[in-house]
Amino acid sequence: MRRNLFPNLTTIAIIGISMLLFSSFSLIAHNLTSFLRIWEDKIEVIAYLKKGIPMSEIESLLKETRQLEGIETVNYVSPYDAMTFMESKLGSQKNLLEGIQPGVLPSSFEIRLKKHFRNSMSIKEVVYQLKRFPQIEEIQYGQQWVETFSAVVHVFRLTQWVLGGLLLIGIIFITFNTLQLTISSRKDEIEIMYILGASPAFIQVPFYVEGLIQGLLGTGLAILFLFYFYYKVLLYHVFFLYITPSIKEWLTEIPILFLPPEKIVMIILGGMVLGFFGSFAASMRFLKYRV
Amino acid sequence: MEEGAKWTNSFIFLKKKGVRVSLNCNMIQMTHVFKTYPSQITALSDITLEISVGEFIFITGPSGSGKTTLLRILFCAERPTSGEVVVNGVRITQKGFREIHLLRRKMGMVFQDFKLLQDCTVGENIAFSLEVTGHVQKEIKKKVFEILSRVGLQEREGDSVLSLSAGEQQRVAIARALVNDPPLLLADEPTGNLDDPMTLDVMQIFTDLHHRGATIVFATHDMDLIQRYPYRAIYLLKGRKVSGSA
Repeated sequence: MRRNLFPNLTTIAIIGISMLLFSSFSLIAHNLTSFLRIWEDKIEVIAYLKKGIPMSEIESLLKETRQLEGIETVNYVSPYDAMTFMESKLGSQKNLLEGIQPGVLPSSFEIRLKKHFRNSMSIKEVVYQLKRFPQIEEIQYGQQWVETFSAVVHVFRLTQWVLGGLLLIGIIFITFNTLQLTISSRKDEIEIMYILGASPAFIQVPFYVEGLIQGLLGTGLAILFLFYFYYKVLLYHVFFLYITPSIKEWLTEIPILFLPPEKIVMIILGGMVLGFFGSFAASMRFLKYRV
Repeated sequence: MEEGAKWTNSFIFLKKKGVRVSLNCNMIQMTHVFKTYPSQITALSDITLEISVGEFIFITGPSGSGKTTLLRILFCAERPTSGEVVVNGVRITQKGFREIHLLRRKMGMVFQDFKLLQDCTVGENIAFSLEVTGHVQKEIKKKVFEILSRVGLQEREGDSVLSLSAGEQQRVAIARALVNDPPLLLADEPTGNLDDPMTLDVMQIFTDLHHRGATIVFATHDMDLIQRYPYRAIYLLKGRKVSGSA
């Protein structure tokens, strides 16, 4: 490696840039997925009850609702609870509610779904079952929002794989060509080795090891750079410089995560495999034993 | 050990001991060798040739006559289109590519353009040849010094090859070819880039090697050089052998 410092550094840089692109994409995907999970966690169904239903009937309805498939918790919200909630939300402007009796507000069930039911299709099933209860007047679950949201999640996951795949093909192509140039720059040395009677393994193995090391260094540098960017820029600067206080407040509720250790290990191993196979494929042309 | 190799080793041993031995075994045997490239250019045509153990032989002819092709076939860098080639008792035309490097370790090859590692020292160039063939560091150091002494370059071991004259670089290339003690030395125009005094200097090393028992196949187009030495010469023209006994 020492003898061919420049081509080796070029290869490391190319692998590094390629893997930086890939890991940046993974970082975005990881954060969007975590962001979507947070939203998914907040999905709940509110069933408004008809007025004048006696408390005993409400209690039996509560029991029946809790037994439905996909239901995690059901909380009864009385008109008085609803009024208190509204007052707390209005804060200093709660005097707007003066003169309004709690009885005007309907009582309701706040229904939280089990995790795997928090998607468009499953919510519809739960709602269908709830609609069979005659005591329920109206059901709100942000149908349009849930459906759009699920579609976005689906499209994003599909895009992640398609773009990830295309990016990977591009990286393999770039790495292969750079490594081919590196090996080509050493063809005199290879020829001399042939002349001196070096075994095929003696000639080839160092190139494979070099490919592995280049993959490790390139990917390692990419991860370090990405971490620096995440730590110095994403966490502390960009979001807090050019955005309005209300968006800032909203954003602080969303955690910005770095890649988890298992993903980092996989990306580094991927870089090493890339370096190895790039080297293997590139060397086939030059290292084929000439007869 | 194959029959031919046994003969070679015995012959070299006896010759080193000063015993006169008659040449009754071939180091190289080429029988009806043809070489045609895919472009339909015939480089060698019906070459039949025997070179005895310990012989010094010139292969001569104008450019494009097939000298280099003949050497490349002997060095297993190319396969003949047809015919049979036996080197040191080994039928090289039947060897698979995974065995070729083992055959090459029993041959030394010297080129007109030296083929040295330009960014290495004299010592490193020679040591590289030993590293490639799996020698240990201690042994490498000793052998490098010994071989450089034989070619008169022991003082230049740590110098870059770029600081050497063409003649000295060729001496390094010869030292590198000899360091593994091969019984056969192939030289492709080794004096082609050298002036007269340097040529004589390099030829002195080759004749010394010959006297020590090495078989030398020396390709050159320099007829004056050939006439100065009493060795057999094979003349090639357009891939055919036009003079010189089999």
